[in-house]
Amino acid sequence: MASRNCLMRLKTFQLSSFNPPNGIAFSRGFGASPPVFQIKWLQAVSHAEKVVGNPTFLDLESVTSHEISNMAVYLKNLIKTGHPLTSTVKELLNPKAKKDLTRGLLVLLVSKAGKHKANEDILPNQRKLAEITEQIHTAHIIHSGIINLPTPNENLEKGNKMAILCGDFIQSRSSIRLAEFKNIKIIELFGQAIADFSAVEFIDEDTYCALDLWTQKTKMRYGTLLSNACQSTLILGGDMDLLESAKNFGLEIAFAWQANIDLQSYKSTTKKEEHILTKLFPPGTPFEEILLIFEAVRDKHINASLEILAKFPQNDACLALCDIAKALNY
Amino acid sequence: MVINVKLTNLLAYSSLVVRRVSHLGKHHGDFPYQLLLSKPTPLFHHKKQIQTVVPSTSTKNVTVPVENTPTADSLVRLDLEGLYEDIREGLSETQPELKLIAQYYFNGEGKAIRPVITMCMARAINFHLDQNTPYVLQKQKKIAQIAEMIHTASLVHDDVIDVADSRRSRPSVNIVWGQRKSIIAGDFILAMASKMLARLQNKQVIILLSQVLADLVQGEFMQLGARENKDERFAHYSEKTFKKTASLIAYSCQAVSVLSGADSTLQAVAFQYGRQIGMAFQLVDDLLDFIATSAQLGKPVAADLRLGLATAPVLFAAQKFSELNPLILRRFQEPGDAETAFRLVLRSDGLQRTKDLAHQYCNDAVTQIAQLTPSPYQQALVTLAHQLLHRMK
Repeated sequence: MASRNCLMRLKTFQLSSFNPPNGIAFSRGFGASPPVFQIKWLQAVSHAEKVVGNPTFLDLESVTSHEISNMAVYLKNLIKTGHPLTSTVKELLNPKAKKDLTRGLLVLLVSKAGKHKANEDILPNQRKLAEITEQIHTAHIIHSGIINLPTPNENLEKGNKMAILCGDFIQSRSSIRLAEFKNIKIIELFGQAIADFSAVEFIDEDTYCALDLWTQKTKMRYGTLLSNACQSTLILGGDMDLLESAKNFGLEIAFAWQANIDLQSYKSTTKKEEHILTKLFPPGTPFEEILLIFEAVRDKHINASLEILAKFPQNDACLALCDIAKALNY
Repeated sequence: MVINVKLTNLLAYSSLVVRRVSHLGKHHGDFPYQLLLSKPTPLFHHKKQIQTVVPSTSTKNVTVPVENTPTADSLVRLDLEGLYEDIREGLSETQPELKLIAQYYFNGEGKAIRPVITMCMARAINFHLDQNTPYVLQKQKKIAQIAEMIHTASLVHDDVIDVADSRRSRPSVNIVWGQRKSIIAGDFILAMASKMLARLQNKQVIILLSQVLADLVQGEFMQLGARENKDERFAHYSEKTFKKTASLIAYSCQAVSVLSGADSTLQAVAFQYGRQIGMAFQLVDDLLDFIATSAQLGKPVAADLRLGLATAPVLFAAQKFSELNPLILRRFQEPGDAETAFRLVLRSDGLQRTKDLAHQYCNDAVTQIAQLTPSPYQQALVTLAHQLLHRMK
């Protein structure tokens, strides 16, 4: 519940002027149509994939086919139990589902964007790191899908068990692969990322005001992982001069991306009262107001991302990233 | 006199002639006797070879430890003082509720057997290599901490998976905080452990302990599956036991030896001691699961059976009573299965053969550690093996 302070800060936020340097005006009301967003978005992502060589490994296949675990079987068992993770898992197991932006793709793009010379290509280690980033995120999604069962329920318990084991498996494989880089900094960065997104679960919501809560949660859940992965890939590439920029870019793009995801789901949901964005604000706050505030947030982060991208060598990967950032704007 | 006592000791438990081994990373000038690598038994051919044959009951080299020999935990008590405080400290920089859950199992109530073995091995290896640098010991203590954190995180996940209701006479984490938060707290502990590990700045050590994580998870998966072919079952059980129990101890021992500057041969000694002790540890636990319950009223069957697990006593018994095989395959699910299995195990020689196998592992552990320069720490590791066997009486 927002206190008086929070309320006042909200009003100030709305009134503060916004001068997006690139002249991107933020859209008003419910004007933006999802189909337009979809097309622009998919175009930007698909183009970006080409820039980094159409990665086909950014899915669970390499992990699920591992002999000892035979994880694909366990994940299918999970689906059979009717566990809430079912739809997530189905998507993970479907190789054709990868049309959307992924963390792995972003890391690959940043890897390429950091190359100063035109003929330099993404290193195998950097590709491996991109894959690991995606898998760590996947493990997190799976563990986040575990549900509390105050009363025994055999089926759901079984589903939980599968989720725990699969998440653990992906996580432990990622740890070993990270260790293989033999880079202390990278291991620390990923350890911090995992610690952060684990801790999100336990945030005491009362200690934050509306927008701050969203910012804090998004930063810990998505920001640290992307930011640290972007840093790590440039460490592997030896592009130390761009480390700070990579770190900041990872954070900003994470904010922009998540803000857009939340916004899109907010616009399309019929039960706005129950949406997470609504719950950030005092009850009775008009939906249009919430929408405006979040569009402003999203645009702020898009612009910040673009500003940082200006510091990278302006190669095709960098431009692809700009397109993705701009495509978030619909 | 100290040296005479040590000599007597060595001769008492090693029925083998000994010869100097200079390739163990240290040159012994002073000692009159010599150390020989014992004849390789199937148990330690290669570093990671898993015991696939049931060994015959050979002569048991169990001897009584010398009186007044300090135990492992008394020797390393000072080293480990503050271990749990330090772990809790390392987990404190976070959201209050997470701090509570993460710290819940680190109240120092457990046996701390892993840190004790790790530190004792560290001390024994340091003594062997004449390694006295304070910061090496500091790092070795961190290994003990990290290993304990990894172990505890796996306990947290195990309790959720097994739907446990209590651990160490307290409600288990999943009961207090629910499944979801418990699992995520376990992930948090592991993440912090990996950060600590990175800060040790030793790439080999990082790889060793990352392997433990993978082994723990694989062990869990192996526990889920039952082998159709009964001839494969014991090998499967052994491998699962290595991954779930022995791996952590083995790699921790190897890691502290790496930090001390051990070469690969000496590292192998440390690893093998940890591995054999770990295997013996689990066998003793599996045995006690049968013996202890029969001594108590009102607890009709072994907990492992109730969880559907076929441990060593059952697997041995199945060689005598083949009617156990279908029960094993269906994981004792049918009513009366667990009771039947329990009865048959007690009627068979399953328990005795489990004891004998544990003896074999302990003897090998002792033979390994005998290769180090004698020291109170080395002796304590021997005593530890004896104490472990003693629990089976």
